Amino acid sequence: MATFRAEVFQNEFLPDGGTDVHAIVTVSAEGVGAASTTGGGVAEIIMVDTSGSMTGAMLRAAKDAAQVAVDHIPDGTWFAIVSGSHVAQRVFPYPNAPVAIVQMEPAAREEAKRAIARLGAQGGTAMSTWLRLADQIFATQPAATQRHAILLTDGKNESEPRAQLTSTIRAVTGRFQCDARGVGERWQVDELREIATALLGTVELIADPEDIAADFKALLATSMSRGVADAQLRVWTPQGGQVLFVRQVAPTVEDLTSRRTQVTPLIGGYPTGAWADESRDYHVAVRVPSKNVGAEQLAARVQVAVADEVVASGLVKAAWSDDASLTARISPEVAHYTGQAELASAIQEGLAAKAAGDEATATVKLGRAVQLAAETGNEEATSKLRRVVEIEDEEHGTVRLKRGASRLDEMALDTASTKTSRVRR
Amino acid sequence: MDGVVSGTVVVCPSCGETAGAGARFCESCGAALGGPTPEAAAPEASTVEAVVPQPGPDAGTDPTPPPATCACGGGIAADGYCEQCGARAAVARDHVEEQPAPHVAGVTDVGVRRRRNEDAMALGVVGDVTVLVVCDGVSSAPDSDVASQAAATAARDVLVAGAADVTRGDAGGWSRLLVEAGHRADDAARDAVDDATARQDPPSCTFVAAVVGRELLAAAWLGDSRVYWLPDAGTPEQLTEDDSVAAELMAGGMPRAAAERSPDAHAITRWLGADAEDTTARTVATRPDGPGWVLACSDGLWNYASAPEVVADLLRDAVGRVGADPAALSRDLVAWAKAAGGHDNVTVALARVTWPAVAAAEPVPDTHAEDPGTTPTVRRRSPGSLPEEPDPPAP
Repeated sequence: MATFRAEVFQNEFLPDGGTDVHAIVTVSAEGVGAASTTGGGVAEIIMVDTSGSMTGAMLRAAKDAAQVAVDHIPDGTWFAIVSGSHVAQRVFPYPNAPVAIVQMEPAAREEAKRAIARLGAQGGTAMSTWLRLADQIFATQPAATQRHAILLTDGKNESEPRAQLTSTIRAVTGRFQCDARGVGERWQVDELREIATALLGTVELIADPEDIAADFKALLATSMSRGVADAQLRVWTPQGGQVLFVRQVAPTVEDLTSRRTQVTPLIGGYPTGAWADESRDYHVAVRVPSKNVGAEQLAARVQVAVADEVVASGLVKAAWSDDASLTARISPEVAHYTGQAELASAIQEGLAAKAAGDEATATVKLGRAVQLAAETGNEEATSKLRRVVEIEDEEHGTVRLKRGASRLDEMALDTASTKTSRVRR
Repeated sequence: MDGVVSGTVVVCPSCGETAGAGARFCESCGAALGGPTPEAAAPEASTVEAVVPQPGPDAGTDPTPPPATCACGGGIAADGYCEQCGARAAVARDHVEEQPAPHVAGVTDVGVRRRRNEDAMALGVVGDVTVLVVCDGVSSAPDSDVASQAAATAARDVLVAGAADVTRGDAGGWSRLLVEAGHRADDAARDAVDDATARQDPPSCTFVAAVVGRELLAAAWLGDSRVYWLPDAGTPEQLTEDDSVAAELMAGGMPRAAAERSPDAHAITRWLGADAEDTTARTVATRPDGPGWVLACSDGLWNYASAPEVVADLLRDAVGRVGADPAALSRDLVAWAKAAGGHDNVTVALARVTWPAVAAAEPVPDTHAEDPGTTPTVRRRSPGSLPEEPDPPAP
């Protein structure tokens, strides 16, 4: 039996006239159990890039990884394999099969691996077609409500305008979750990040094609451990109040603010996708009308709903005080994650400036990133930053851009920019 | 045992052994010998019905279930906040008024700055005896609001049940009964939560009780809640003497205003609860020689009006504003304290004394029954949790 818990960390005291309340809400799930693959409620689609750039070793590794993935999809799971170039094609079930998706069983597994083995590479790259086909395939099996896909590419989405990809992502958002993987150094981090963020997945760089198989195996293990198909984060604010932002801040930074759907006029719902036994942190900021010193009120109820039933609730309060020792304190959790969110944007903006040839901005932004990574104890970010900049003074964020920084190192830093370290409690 | 009138023996509820009157513990098994319940004792003790407000079974444990709707019209959610505006649902304990008889009333209020009312009061009238009890929960110790209500109610019940045994002018009788009420209040504070003894900061509270009757005004206390005697004519008096650091400083010669502003002023040296070492209340008795008011209050009031003459002026002004109804007066004084800052919970209980002056009264010496002496305990604690100092007393 899955149980959810919501814990609130905040300084509820506001100075006279104060209006903005910040809180970190840790949502944890326990006893979730594995995804119910035998019940036919789970579907998995693997999209493999087969554009012309997927040359010998790269294609071999991708095919091998897809076969490993098929081995790790449990019996009973609905599954399909898609090959993608400037067009998308269903590889398995075979294009001439009467159904678009089948349940895994030993014979299907062997046949799927044979189909994957026959894949060849040619053509361009238009990922919108891949996503659209995956969506159509999932749609043929409406009973499979827990839908997960893996997208693997090695290149830039060069065969269509960016707007085409963006509008397709928007169209399929909420219909399935998707983890995006880029292999090698010719793909675009921001393209895959856009896909993964919208589709509640992760984005990773796989530098060595030999590592794809292990990554796919891990992705499937994670996907199959998610016993709760979908949970919604809900934020209630009082009449006259407003949500400033709702941001997932751990394990990665994802801004959810614009993804609000109205549950009631006072309650907004934000998608969080499927859950395993895990915990995630959310930064909720709300604005409420100021009250008299001494007054206390509820600024937000932060709830988790599964299948429209509220399963956990945390209270964010506001209490006005004229005691500066109370109001001046910043919750360490809020401070930590505010820094982590700024770290993610400093890295992304710094790298974008560097790519655009604006070295001054790049130096300032990446310097700030170095400072924030140190302050918030994000060692992964610090070590990745070190490969891109020479750090002169960590505390003050004084850096020089490394002349010989490799594109792979920059991509690794960019890809990992949204990963946060947990606050030390 | 004071209050037991059925005979000279008490039967131990634990082992059935008989114990002598006045015994607090069974000689045979060591169990505490419970006092008479008011229901059992009052009819025997007095032919006069005791008037004791019953705040309901939950009053001491939890602030009553929230009302169904908020002032804004929204519903109240199970979490105690309005579903529309987010306001905290008012809990019954935030403001309680009692008036067991026309001449006695009290108001306890959460004040302005605190978020929970940890003060409690219990009033009673039996025959011609009036009982006022005020307990101020120590807010740094969780659940002290539960302890304070349990203690106040327990003490009131002991005093109401035992009043019939006190004879005219018997200051010693009042003292013994008041001390017993303090012990029984302590038992109640200790039992207020199941795991009190296991806690680092067990629930605790101050204690002050006043009884008026049998031609006497007697009071007992532990901590810094007070009783004042405010005669219509004559010199107003603070009958109690705080068990507090401020009182020690004053005893050492510091002026009241300076002592009460000192950083540790509100640290109390005696209290009720599982970690209290000495719970024998100090007592005092006096013979009022004319009509006046008995005031029992928590520091939420006297933070803003401490010296007896200041309190007397305050009351006189209040009578001028709202008349002589004790309920209206209590309400007015609470409102005054809140207007003055309301940093702490405020409790005001008033009883009007109207009996005719006792002709040529021989003076009653202040009887300090089982006076524990003036050595303060080593442990000190402040009944307030906010690190701020109270507003300076009103000029």
